Amino acid sequence: MIEILQQIVNGLAIGGVYVLIALGLTTVFGILGIAHFAHGSVSMFGGYLTFFLVASLGFPLLLAILVALLIGLVLGVLIEWLAYRPVRNASHINAFIVALGLTMMVEGLNLEFFGHEQVVIPTNLSRIFDIGGVTIPELRLYVIMAAALLIVAMTLFVEKTKTGQAIRAVAENRDAAILMGVNVKTIPMIVFSISTALGVCAGVMVGSLFAIAPGIGQWLVVKGFAVLILGGLGSIPGAIVGGLVLGVTEALAAGFISSAYKDVIAFVVMIAVLLLRPQGLMGKS
Amino acid sequence: MTFSAKHLVYGAALIGFALLPQLITVKYYLHLSVLALVWVIAAQGQNLIQGYTGYVSIVQAGFMGIGAYSTTLLGLHYNLPVWLTILLAPVVSALFALCTGYPSLRVKGHYFAIVTLAFNLVIFIVLMNYSELTGGEAGITGIPKPGSKGGWLNFANREVYYYFVLIIAVLMTSLAGLIVRSRIGQALLAIRQNETLVGAIGIAAWKYKLFAFVAAAMYAGLAGALYAHYQSFINPDVFGLAQSLDAILAVIIGGSGTILGPVIGAFVVVFLPEYLRFADSFRLILYGLVLVLATIFMPRGIAGVTSDLWTRLTRRAA
Repeated sequence: MIEILQQIVNGLAIGGVYVLIALGLTTVFGILGIAHFAHGSVSMFGGYLTFFLVASLGFPLLLAILVALLIGLVLGVLIEWLAYRPVRNASHINAFIVALGLTMMVEGLNLEFFGHEQVVIPTNLSRIFDIGGVTIPELRLYVIMAAALLIVAMTLFVEKTKTGQAIRAVAENRDAAILMGVNVKTIPMIVFSISTALGVCAGVMVGSLFAIAPGIGQWLVVKGFAVLILGGLGSIPGAIVGGLVLGVTEALAAGFISSAYKDVIAFVVMIAVLLLRPQGLMGKS
Repeated sequence: MTFSAKHLVYGAALIGFALLPQLITVKYYLHLSVLALVWVIAAQGQNLIQGYTGYVSIVQAGFMGIGAYSTTLLGLHYNLPVWLTILLAPVVSALFALCTGYPSLRVKGHYFAIVTLAFNLVIFIVLMNYSELTGGEAGITGIPKPGSKGGWLNFANREVYYYFVLIIAVLMTSLAGLIVRSRIGQALLAIRQNETLVGAIGIAAWKYKLFAFVAAAMYAGLAGALYAHYQSFINPDVFGLAQSLDAILAVIIGGSGTILGPVIGAFVVVFLPEYLRFADSFRLILYGLVLVLATIFMPRGIAGVTSDLWTRLTRRAA
């Protein structure tokens, strides 16, 4: 029992990262119908940048994260404006190809700026808590808490604020939103900058919990899409539930079945959900 | 393009490909040309599901891997002749495609793309980790060439292998052309245009979609087998996600839903990264930039643009 609880706690940390990635992907998908494949690489850029600021320029960690976040906000706007807006009215395949090209560019930039060495963001958080037999490293606990905080903030933003309302309106019905006076030019920019900032947070978490290296971004974005399928494309509650389910499933699979095949098991769960509920766990049929 | 002009283009392309090894002086380019022809086969398959049916599948390289490993392992463990294993490879890929296509084709659009992407990752992870069978990351070396030692054709010779793959690529391209013109092809095109309507007039769309998916996998399996026997070495790295994306790019860049598109696209996908090698570490960035710009300004691919240009020119002349 303790062992199962332990694995679930382990799964919550990585699940939190998946939720943050998936929230970015799902809001972008809801607004623009785009599979933003470059999201993982952009997130890794944020992680790399934080590492660079801390390790090379000697910034304190929190300041480095803040700077990376601000750059993420700007980067999101640029991506929407330069890459996706021109293919706004083209077929979905074209937007997807743009996303692929963008992924290559960001991966290339990461290599150019930060090299191909594996890096870990230094945090100096090494205490380990023991709660009723379940051990939680300090860092993992903070990651879970930060992820929870961001998820709550994002949900409140989308549900309660005027801008959030506009975002939901565009996702629901673009034409009606235009008629109601929603500025559909700025909404995608806002969505992209928020989702990129969330991605940066996820990148920092991956970089401090595990490591950042070339190729990690693609792995992360694929997991993000798996979460979207689990939860339902475009659904925010779906992203939260799906991310936690995927993270915990993976941790349980790694702990009790095989760590080499944990991803395979996660994908099998995803495909099984898709067969039983094609619209996802929280999606509307 | 008019009917006769189209045939003129096909003829010229055929002659060009037949003469290519005589024109190429650098051995390395001949090597790339063989690889490009292998990719022509894979891209023609991808075009059936992506270009004609409108379903973006991201598992083409995974199916190439299944083909490559099947031909290799069947030869290794059952001592079957190379000719036979090359023919069996697409059958194995097709079986996998039947099992995976049936559930995944129940969903549409982005869902389908992501599910197939997951399949590619699963194939990659299994190839990587099931080392007893696949040799893991180190792969398998010493894969035999077709033909017997001292036979009248030496397949170890690059030029001979070029013509061997060329003949198969031409056959498979013609087959794709026949499929597209047949009743099945018309049904596939109709599914791309409006799947609901296809269902409404009593055509079982899922059968045709499954056909396109399995056919694409067979093309990939064959391409993978030809690749394995050409390189004499395989490992999982060449059958990953990035290569599946290359197959998609080949179709898009060349011109999706055209017969010559995948041919042009395959050569671009193989040669362009090589030509960008001068830029060294900027290569990936440039390649990405070319893709983004090409999609924004040339959404119908090279074949589409040339065809438009041709129509405009002939109209002006007339």
